[in-house]
Amino acid sequence: MKARWLRVVAIAALVVTALSTVARAQDSEPSGEDTTVLRIGTTADLNSDNPWAVVAGSDWVVATSEYDMMLKFDSEDLSPAPSLAEGCEPSEDYMTWTCTLREGLLWSDGEPLTSEDVAFSYRFVIDHRIPQYKSYFAFDPVFETPDERTLIWKAEKPTFALDMPPWGYIVPEHVWAQYDGEDLRTIKSVENTPTVASGPFTLTDWQQGRSWTMTRNPNYWGETPVVDEIQFRLYTNQEAMVTALKNGEIDFADGIKPSLLGSIEGNENITVQQTVSDWWLNFAFNFGGQSPDADALPAIHDHTLREAVAMAIDKQDIVDKAYLGTATTGDTLIRPASAFWHLDIPAEEEYPYDPAAANALLDDAGYADSDGDGVREDPATGDPLVFDVPASTDTAGAVEAGQLIVGELREIGIEVNLLPVNDAKMNDYWGTGNWDAYIWYWSGDPDPNYQLFVFSSEQCGSWSDGCWKNPEFDALYEEQRGIMDRNERQQVVLDAQQVAYEDIPGLVLAYPSTLQAYRNDRFTNWTPHPGENGYLLPSYNYDSLVSITPVGGTTAASSSSGLPAWIWIAGVVVLGGIVLVAMRGGRKRADEEA
Amino acid sequence: MAAVDTTSMSPRRLAWTRRRRALAGHWATYRRNSQGMVGLSILTFFLLVAILGPLLVDASLLDPSQATGVPFSPPSLTYPLGTDNFGRSVLALLVEGARISLLVGFTATIGAMAIGATVGIAAGYFGGTRIDAVLNALTNWFLVIPWLVLAIALATILGPTLLNVIVVIAITSWASTARLVRAQALTVRERTYVERAKALGAGHGRIVTTHILPNVFPVIFANTVLTVALSILSETTLSILGLGDPTAISWGRIIEASFNAGALTAGYWWWLIPPGIAIVLVTLSFTMCGYALDEILNPKLRER
Amino acid sequence: MGARRYVLRKVLQAALTLFFVLTANFFMFRVMPGDPIAMLARSQRLDEEAIAEQQASYGLDKPLPQQYVFYLQQTLRGELGLSFRNARPVWDEIAARVWPTVMLVGIGTILSSAIGVWVGTKGGWNRGSRFDTSTLYGSLVLYSMPEGWLGMLLMLVFAGWLGWFPAGGYETGGMSGFARVIDVANHLVLPCVTLTLGYVGSYAIVMRSSLLEVMREGFVLTARAKGVPDRLVLRRHAGPNAFLPTFTLIFLSFGFVLGGAIIVETVFSWPGIGLLTYEAINTRDYPTIQAIFLLTSAMVIVFNLAADVTYGYLDPRVREA
Repeated sequence: MKARWLRVVAIAALVVTALSTVARAQDSEPSGEDTTVLRIGTTADLNSDNPWAVVAGSDWVVATSEYDMMLKFDSEDLSPAPSLAEGCEPSEDYMTWTCTLREGLLWSDGEPLTSEDVAFSYRFVIDHRIPQYKSYFAFDPVFETPDERTLIWKAEKPTFALDMPPWGYIVPEHVWAQYDGEDLRTIKSVENTPTVASGPFTLTDWQQGRSWTMTRNPNYWGETPVVDEIQFRLYTNQEAMVTALKNGEIDFADGIKPSLLGSIEGNENITVQQTVSDWWLNFAFNFGGQSPDADALPAIHDHTLREAVAMAIDKQDIVDKAYLGTATTGDTLIRPASAFWHLDIPAEEEYPYDPAAANALLDDAGYADSDGDGVREDPATGDPLVFDVPASTDTAGAVEAGQLIVGELREIGIEVNLLPVNDAKMNDYWGTGNWDAYIWYWSGDPDPNYQLFVFSSEQCGSWSDGCWKNPEFDALYEEQRGIMDRNERQQVVLDAQQVAYEDIPGLVLAYPSTLQAYRNDRFTNWTPHPGENGYLLPSYNYDSLVSITPVGGTTAASSSSGLPAWIWIAGVVVLGGIVLVAMRGGRKRADEEA
Repeated sequence: MAAVDTTSMSPRRLAWTRRRRALAGHWATYRRNSQGMVGLSILTFFLLVAILGPLLVDASLLDPSQATGVPFSPPSLTYPLGTDNFGRSVLALLVEGARISLLVGFTATIGAMAIGATVGIAAGYFGGTRIDAVLNALTNWFLVIPWLVLAIALATILGPTLLNVIVVIAITSWASTARLVRAQALTVRERTYVERAKALGAGHGRIVTTHILPNVFPVIFANTVLTVALSILSETTLSILGLGDPTAISWGRIIEASFNAGALTAGYWWWLIPPGIAIVLVTLSFTMCGYALDEILNPKLRER
Repeated sequence: MGARRYVLRKVLQAALTLFFVLTANFFMFRVMPGDPIAMLARSQRLDEEAIAEQQASYGLDKPLPQQYVFYLQQTLRGELGLSFRNARPVWDEIAARVWPTVMLVGIGTILSSAIGVWVGTKGGWNRGSRFDTSTLYGSLVLYSMPEGWLGMLLMLVFAGWLGWFPAGGYETGGMSGFARVIDVANHLVLPCVTLTLGYVGSYAIVMRSSLLEVMREGFVLTARAKGVPDRLVLRRHAGPNAFLPTFTLIFLSFGFVLGGAIIVETVFSWPGIGLLTYEAINTRDYPTIQAIFLLTSAMVIVFNLAADVTYGYLDPRVREA
């Protein structure tokens, strides 16, 4: 008996030693020494590698890293800067723009990039009405390519399209021409890995749901990046991603929720970038009229009521509690990332947080609480001021802000039914108009046109939140559409924001930042955009990826946390041994005794 | 027990006296079951906390806009269980959580029992007929679909309110009860007194209420207690997945909030662990009571 | 009735249930309020025209009965459609995520049933012993724990405080060969342990009680009276008979285990079918949800069928029912 056991143990020990030597040898093999790899962790999955099917999150990062546009968004303030085009000149009437491409442009597969590709790309968007980009091609432009380096954009009306600049990726005609004329669903399902593009990196590998890799494009027209390869790793929870960053398994964590800052703070190898905001948390009032089912409190049409609500909501508290301080209080419609167009209302002119004054306003306006239940009634209808307020659970901070607002409005005698719902349901509410106020978001573009557009009167029933109608605002919106000179246009855009701020179609509650964290001992020389509080990864341009350099040599090999290999091998062998011996021993004993 | 003169009682009073005696006997048996008594005492404690909750914890302690504590702070004298992301006392949240979690557990179970018992009795009573076949198929479908997948789908359709959570749990829990009840109802149906009642011309309703129901009731009751435990666990799972009512504070929601706020990597154990322990205690006590009841109502198992 | 008739009847029942499942799946999701295409309107800048186009391309503008027929045709042909989210074939999406779930659920089931059966057998055979009482209560406590919370607890202790294992995910990335296998194994430990602990309790309890029941049966008493050694009685007589209900339970609880997989995958970010289900439902990705529902229901039906048939084969009494 004992002898048998001893033999098993001896064999097991030998096997363990042999296998673990092999394993350890493999573990300590360095990964490719001469490739510089940037490892990015993200919780936003790549939905599509197809530029026509970009949905959200990482899709944009990948597309913006590999495809060029004629003009790019400058890193300082997102104004147009040369990219594939050296420059674009408008005619006097601004109906014709002439762009000159750089010399010697090549696609990543070696084919020459000409104005034909540009014209093809633009026509593709227009002909197939690709939703994400078609708004940049207003007034039915037609394109001419007199020679390989010249593109002429002819619109039916004066346009500043090229000044926006147009968000339209330039794709290779020789790859996409075969899909011209297909329906959109077919086009969107085309697999695009490996990608043929003109930017500094192209997508070369995609493990769906796990990781995707971009490799340096040797035919890139600009400054050669130092980074050879970019690996994106998908994490479905941020805790794991932050732990990975701390362990050095990744070099960059894109998009961290504020509550995780605490675990990074004090770590001198990690720098956190709190970016300027490109979206805002929106508390919108409903003025009714979207559909026959639209039902909102008539009192909302009373400016005094809206003003009282504005003074009862503590925006700083929302910033502190819903965003843990990683946001700024909101004021106007155009997000701060569009710095050139954003109107900043001076602190002393903003609606103050003053519940007492709000109460006084409502008292004076006749909203008394006649039955003493703590809720005021509308003197015109006699109905209590009870707001149904849907809040989007898919929008960061919306529900938390809603919970704070419930308490704050109760202080001024308004009762709020907070209805947290996901975006599908929010969409229903948006369409039917059966709500009093809701908490959602607006994102906007670098160019202010779209953001102003959704607040115009004619968008009631379409893009407008609550069918707010203000003729003065409408006039200003129309005016800025027609001004070709940037500086002139700026003043009109600022005026439009002022009008909106004073009329309170809703409240811009906060401008939440995006948090990006990176290992400062791995890479340096990031190019944030716009401005020094900007995004470090391609949101609007890929300058960062081209400019970064490793700190002191190449990146280290990744190591796994957890049990080392030899323990696993030992465990399996020992377990197997026990099972074997138990089975054989048991049967033998049973036979003996039977 | 004092002797009762039963000679001059009406049959109905006789039946009730018999039942009352049986009940007293059951209670005596139950009292001897240490497992059941432990369960019952834990349960009573939590029920008291839930009922007295609003008195113990002022509503202002739960209002995010009135929270005064420093967010994410560990246990201290003023905040025995620390604070959450708004700066509210976790202890206060825990007390409120008792109320909501138990409410959801009980209400969802009542719903599940109501549906399950009705379907089960109907299927069993009309056993073998087309009604039974249809009801059986329906029950089977609900049993075949993995409950969480169905629950997620329903919760997403209906939206995250407390009522909807209760409805979802009820809808995904009734099938197992129905199957049990059906089996029991089938057996009861075969008994002679039912045949006799039918022969005497008693209608369906009469037979069900006077014969089937009382005999099926013990099975339902024991099953109910166990189902409450499962309902509370279900609510926790749904909340952790983000499908609970964000404005209601249940234990599951506290766990979800702490998880989403990064309690795991930041180490906010005071926020994550207590609600889980509470759930374990309550579920355990329901289960222990359920087992004890099972022994009483199904005597042949008493030897265990 | 004969074995063949029994099997045939069971197979027919299974097929019928499956058809019912197919139909119910289809209608259930069409009833969902909230248009999956329109829901993306705000984030994708879809105006009415674009929305209508997308709906047409997915056939959502056709009348419901027509959609149903199309759905049946496609499904029977093995075509599960294109995902709404990214227009990729649903089958590919699912195939890419199947392996992690199979690993997790497979190993978890094997471990929990093996340990559960062993614990239940030893406890039931030595009823009243310290082992028995402690494991019984241990099983009860485990059974009362919410699985998600248990996972979080393990992650807090073993990944957060002790740092022995990674805090979720499938792999560290950038590894290959043997090192990668070990890496994945390390990531698998905590979720697998969570899943195992979640079910080991109930398997142990069931095994124990069915063993206790069997021990009271006549043939066991006879064997003991004849002087057959205890170990033999357990292994040859009581064990196999008691194992039968447990075996059936393991098959039948597949539905629950899948539910457990969803929550465990969510907590640990394990990229399997469970997580895919949750994501698909939240984005109203009908084709993906439908496919998953169909596949999991089919599996459950098949497992039930297998359990029924096996049980019927091993215990002829059941066939008479």
